[in-house]
Amino acid sequence: MASVTLQHVSKQYTKDVNVINDIDLKIEDGEFIVFVGPSGCGKSTLLRMIAGLEEITEGEIYIDGVLANDLHASERGLAMVFQSYALYPHMTVERNLGFALKMAGMPKAEIAQRVTNAAEILQITHLLARKPKELSGGQRQRVAIGRAIVREPKVFLFDEPLSNLDASLRQNMRVELAKLHKELGTTMIYVTHDQVEAMTLADRIVLFNEGVVQQIGSPLDLYDNPANLFVAAFLGAPKMNLLDARLESAHAQIAELRLANGAIVSAAVNASRVSTGDIVKLGIRPEYLQLATDDDAGAVSAKVILIEHLGDQSLAYITIADAAEPLCMKLSGRCCNLKYGDTIGIIFPLEHCLLFDQAGVAFKRV
Amino acid sequence: MHKRKSKRKSHALALNVLTWMVVVLTLLPILWMVLSSLRNYSDIAAGDQLSSGLPLRWENYRDMWVNVDFFTYFKNSLIVCSVTTVLATMSATCAAYALARFRFRGSNGVSVGITVTQVIPGMLFFLPLYMLYRSMGDNWGIPMLDTYHGLIFLYVALFTPASIWIMRGFFISIPRELEDAAVMDGCSRFGAFVRIVLPISAPGIIATATFIFLLAWDELFFAWVLTSSSEVQTIPVGIRLFVSQFQHRYDLMMAAATMSTLPVLIAFFACQRFFIKGLSAGAVKG
Repeated sequence: MASVTLQHVSKQYTKDVNVINDIDLKIEDGEFIVFVGPSGCGKSTLLRMIAGLEEITEGEIYIDGVLANDLHASERGLAMVFQSYALYPHMTVERNLGFALKMAGMPKAEIAQRVTNAAEILQITHLLARKPKELSGGQRQRVAIGRAIVREPKVFLFDEPLSNLDASLRQNMRVELAKLHKELGTTMIYVTHDQVEAMTLADRIVLFNEGVVQQIGSPLDLYDNPANLFVAAFLGAPKMNLLDARLESAHAQIAELRLANGAIVSAAVNASRVSTGDIVKLGIRPEYLQLATDDDAGAVSAKVILIEHLGDQSLAYITIADAAEPLCMKLSGRCCNLKYGDTIGIIFPLEHCLLFDQAGVAFKRV
Repeated sequence: MHKRKSKRKSHALALNVLTWMVVVLTLLPILWMVLSSLRNYSDIAAGDQLSSGLPLRWENYRDMWVNVDFFTYFKNSLIVCSVTTVLATMSATCAAYALARFRFRGSNGVSVGITVTQVIPGMLFFLPLYMLYRSMGDNWGIPMLDTYHGLIFLYVALFTPASIWIMRGFFISIPRELEDAAVMDGCSRFGAFVRIVLPISAPGIIATATFIFLLAWDELFFAWVLTSSSEVQTIPVGIRLFVSQFQHRYDLMMAAATMSTLPVLIAFFACQRFFIKGLSAGAVKG
């Protein structure tokens, strides 16, 4: 196990192309940390810099307290699982697993022992004599993970390892990876563009956009308290509902907002850093919007435009007069009562409302 | 439905007929050559070489060996072509890998330069080349004319550029992650090239080597210009000289031609699996 520390790490390909911008990050011993973000945000590049496959333009990377900038990739005590598995096609599974150990000069007997142990953990003992082209996608993935395990690294690096698998296999492998982390307890750095993988696997998430860290925190922390609009919109499916609103009043504990249709909504945030009358963005997750009852005061009038029944839940798409985009409401079970054209009242619970300023930065929740 | 099916059938039939026509047109000269090599020269002159009633004359091959000194030409071709193949394949492999994997100053210029050399007909520079070789021998004391190394040096320069393009396409089709994995496993970049890339590229390398061998084996013009003694002259030159000397002995000429084709045929059929795979490897992913 080892910690990984990044200090002011940047990567520049040319004078005008900054791929990674001044990253500071400390990854603790045994932590499962996930780098997540849209394609091209620099998460894989950062992983490759940690691995030693890309040069660092500025900054330092410490692995287990040792400066790793000038260390060869194989000297950093890391093992990497690639998106395309990167199994050597001309070698059997057994030779693939043992290749790194052979390069390290390990005795044959010890190589054989480690290969056998890794194969047993991953249940691929019966595949050792096969070549990669004779394996299914899931089997290749296990071999790729096995190749990392045999090295007994200080840190595992995963570069979108599940992206080539179908949905059901991906779910199974996610569980396997989580179990593996529990069993081995090794530090793991995992790169993905899939927020479900990030939310389910991570101890902490580092969310990237355009080479800049948007937020670092536990999955639920990022989900409940996004630092900005990008984080709010990236995590959660369906996406967070976002409406333009005008700040009517702002106190330390509560802010009152007027929606485009004139309705007043409250949010439990500290909006004192902006002025009354400023335009802000109100955010609320689909599962927090509530259907108003007859007794509810302050309900906002909305019209149903679409109902999607997913079996265990339903998604109702609604419009509020003068709002730019329809909102999505997540309702448990099957709401057979609602249909296209119905006018309903919806409640914005103030404890679940988020507020963002014009720059997209979130106000602190109270 | 019935109309569509019969239209498809007639299309398939037309394609089959066309394919067989091409096959026959391609194989007929070879058949002609082989049968002519087993006939009496008067039968060939009369145009009867394809007649089934005539006896096969295997003595033509013995006579050819005696009259043509075929063994010497064969040995010369084998030496020149084998060394050319090894050197050109090695240099093409290294150059192609560099062009496929590395971005360096001048890489575009190198790529364009390689393409341009293929556009210029080789015959345009035979005179400057001859003069250069002669000058090297006369002024620098490095004999290049009428030598193995003179021919080999030229053939390597002639056949490497096209080989670079073949190999480059092959290397591009190999995922970069394989080399990254090898580096993570403890290889240097060169070690990853040797231990991982080269074994995977074996079909491409064999295809390239076969391609170079075929080109070098058939090359006549420069071999004719740059060599003058039978100690160095290759088979195409030998056959050309034989034609000049024994104009009417088509039987021996065809026997020599058949013998000179054999190594090429053997090489091609032994390596055709790799040849086809290697030439088309870059086509899909490159």
